[in-house]
Amino acid sequence: MLKIEYVTQRLSLRFFMLMLVLFAFQVAFGLVIATQHVDPTLLAGVANFNILRAEHTNLGILWILSGFIGTILFVGPLLSHRELAATGLIKFLFWALLAVTIWNVWTQSLAAEGIAGWWAGQPWLQEGLEYLEAGRAADVVIFVGFAILAYILLRTFPPRREWNEIHWGLAIGVVALTFVWLFGVFFVERIDLQEYFRWYVVHYWVEGVWEVIHISLVGFLLVLMFKADVKAVGYAVFWGVAMVWLSGLIGNAHHYFWIGTPEFWQFWGSLFSALEPLPLVFCFWHIYLDAHQDRKPLENAPAFYFILGSVVLEQVGAGILGFTMTFALTNVWSHGTWVTPSHAHLALFGTFGMLGIAAAYYAVPLLRGVKNFDQRLGRIAFWLVFTGMLGIAFGFAIGGTIQVFLYRSMGLSWFGGEIFPAMQFYKILVPIFGLVFTTGAGLLIYDLLTIGYRSRQAPVEEPAAAVRPVRGRWSAQLRGVEAGLWLMGMWIFGAIITLGLLSFNLEVVAKGDPTIPYVLGGIGYPGLLLITLLFVWRFLASLEARPAPAAQAQPSMAPAAVGQGT
Amino acid sequence: MSCLNGTDCREHIKRHTALAVLALMLVIFLLLSAWSFLPSRNQTIPSVVQYGDVDAVAGKRVFQAYNCMGCHTIVGNGAYFGPDLTKIYHDTGPAWLAAFLPSAGGWPTTAAVQVQLQNPLVQKEAGVADIDAYRKQYPGAAERMDHRGGQHSLMPNLPLDAGEIQALMAFFKYTSAMNNEGWPPKPDPDRRLPIQAASVAAAASAQAAPVAAAGSSPSDAGGAVDLVAAGQKLVGDLGCVACHATDQTRMVGPGWGGLFGHDVKLADGSTVVADEEYIVRSIREPDAQVVEGYPPHVMPSYDALVNEADMQAIVAYLRSL
Repeated sequence: MLKIEYVTQRLSLRFFMLMLVLFAFQVAFGLVIATQHVDPTLLAGVANFNILRAEHTNLGILWILSGFIGTILFVGPLLSHRELAATGLIKFLFWALLAVTIWNVWTQSLAAEGIAGWWAGQPWLQEGLEYLEAGRAADVVIFVGFAILAYILLRTFPPRREWNEIHWGLAIGVVALTFVWLFGVFFVERIDLQEYFRWYVVHYWVEGVWEVIHISLVGFLLVLMFKADVKAVGYAVFWGVAMVWLSGLIGNAHHYFWIGTPEFWQFWGSLFSALEPLPLVFCFWHIYLDAHQDRKPLENAPAFYFILGSVVLEQVGAGILGFTMTFALTNVWSHGTWVTPSHAHLALFGTFGMLGIAAAYYAVPLLRGVKNFDQRLGRIAFWLVFTGMLGIAFGFAIGGTIQVFLYRSMGLSWFGGEIFPAMQFYKILVPIFGLVFTTGAGLLIYDLLTIGYRSRQAPVEEPAAAVRPVRGRWSAQLRGVEAGLWLMGMWIFGAIITLGLLSFNLEVVAKGDPTIPYVLGGIGYPGLLLITLLFVWRFLASLEARPAPAAQAQPSMAPAAVGQGT
Repeated sequence: MSCLNGTDCREHIKRHTALAVLALMLVIFLLLSAWSFLPSRNQTIPSVVQYGDVDAVAGKRVFQAYNCMGCHTIVGNGAYFGPDLTKIYHDTGPAWLAAFLPSAGGWPTTAAVQVQLQNPLVQKEAGVADIDAYRKQYPGAAERMDHRGGQHSLMPNLPLDAGEIQALMAFFKYTSAMNNEGWPPKPDPDRRLPIQAASVAAAASAQAAPVAAAGSSPSDAGGAVDLVAAGQKLVGDLGCVACHATDQTRMVGPGWGGLFGHDVKLADGSTVVADEEYIVRSIREPDAQVVEGYPPHVMPSYDALVNEADMQAIVAYLRSL
């Protein structure tokens, strides 16, 4: 087991704890707004949907950032072979993050009274733009926080000639995080121009910055967990990042189809964002390779479960579901409907949320010096949040398909009583799977908060694990061909979904017959989500069935090999 | 794979090429972006769209201050809780919006829209003066009035004042005038509606018929009880109860419960007794005596819509509460 060699790594612990607390609140808000979708009169006039949703999206961003900061602080010294610089600033960063979060939770509620805090043309308290709801005062603090993070990381890193791709990825990531934020801190009069710049922040953060941080961190965690070769991971990081930018830079144009910008964006956006899944396939492939770098059993199963979940849901949520609605001819239907949050929930929680949880599962036991922690809770929690989120995505996707037909093709009125009952069954699915998700989230939060403090320490199940027999073909060694077939299966279902959205352009559908899109969506979405579930099960069964070596020597990880330059 | 064994596999050249292509893409992206916002695009701009004397920029500030995007979508972006608002002005017109926005918790009745249409500004912006022409011009308003008029909506009442409402109208006028490249897609006019087809068709044929239930006179009503019942029907048809509760609850306007015969404090500091004269005046000239704590210019005048007989019924109903 890795020993904590650098005391400043311990500073990451408080960010992981904050992440868990904010995650709990975000899930609670999500559960309430999912229930409000079922019964819109719930808390109406008391706690309106728009405010609760703003809390839900903002806390989602903030806890993911908190997890990023924790992870970066944890790996920073390992990458640099020295203590973190400016520890005072790190402590300040923590309190600033906590303060700005509480402040922002409060200011969002002012939207019920229409108070934005206009001063000097800017909304200082809250600004009512999706994802960028924070007011200017909070924006400034967040900007300073990002700048501090970038400063800490760059001061900690070794001289630049010693950097490898992971250093570059993280350095560019945190600097870009700070820079891109600036595009969202101006009041813009024109809605087309405002949306143009709002997607700079939302899209380029997710696609250009978080993705880069994600690739770098996943790469390094794999180095730590599987002793994966630094050069191989570095290669994957460089080309992963390069492909993310090559596709995502112009791929941002898929947000510019209908906001009032010219038609030519439909060509550019459809073309380039269709390429956006490429880096995700690439990343997916590398986690397969790297997870098979050594053939030892998983030392820290929950951490790897969540990394795998992160990369697979990135593939499915961001890659495949994103692909289905990225063409102008499909996006014209999916845009502004329930079809999109199925993509958003899987992609955002899956890719970035699960990475933060994985890093916490890796770091927290080490930071608390716990050997052989009880991994059962983490495993169960993973399966609950994973299936919960797949179920939520299913409810959104099918509900959204019905919505597209009735709302867009048939032109029925939204609140007039026709669309609501037609979607109701799928609306109910969201809070139901939300409860499954909440149970898992509660478990993992409890587990991570109390690892090392619980009186009953891990049962010594090592011998049991060691003799666990290889059970048939399901837990046989996963080979490359088979992994490729699973991936292809996912994409086939993705193609069916795409055709389903495309079929809304058919005249027969426009005349009032929804059979084709309903059948294609009814096959595509559940098929995709089920095959994803099965694949993760298969992958983990393969890893769990690895025979433990006779003498399980656990050499303390030699970070010397890790931080070397290329 | 990478050059693990240290052989020259031109990895550096490949990486530099990738970065060069990336720079080219950045140039393309920035050129396309600049092109998107040139004046030659002829896209509508909020600073030149006016509703009355308010421009759409002021409306955008109101739209953001209430976080409307947190429930609705605008140009398709936002939450998916309420309907998209991009073309709402085009569909329902200013009179319907002016009737709806102050009391969003209830759907405006035909009479409530008709009252707004008496406002010269609304008339000018709508381009029509009478309700039948309005229904033809704004089928979205006709559909809403026929199917939902007088019912509860799922939107909470927002504390919008008259200026904010006017600004929001300017904003919706602006977004309706925008060129969104064909989004949202328009339904096929020959489509076969899957549900409630009969009622929609019936509503379409009934469009020409006069809806003004407000015009029906209770003159044939015999006793006082009938007068109260007629008044109760009238306040529903006229849309009064979208803003006024029948108990003492404060909604958009003051509640009516126990009002009659009691003292009312006015915004100018004086106190009047809520007798018949006061109630009639509040309906015919709402801004003459504004109740303390309530903003002026929110309630429109119902003078032209309520005849003497109807007024008697309404007063009788209020007296009974």
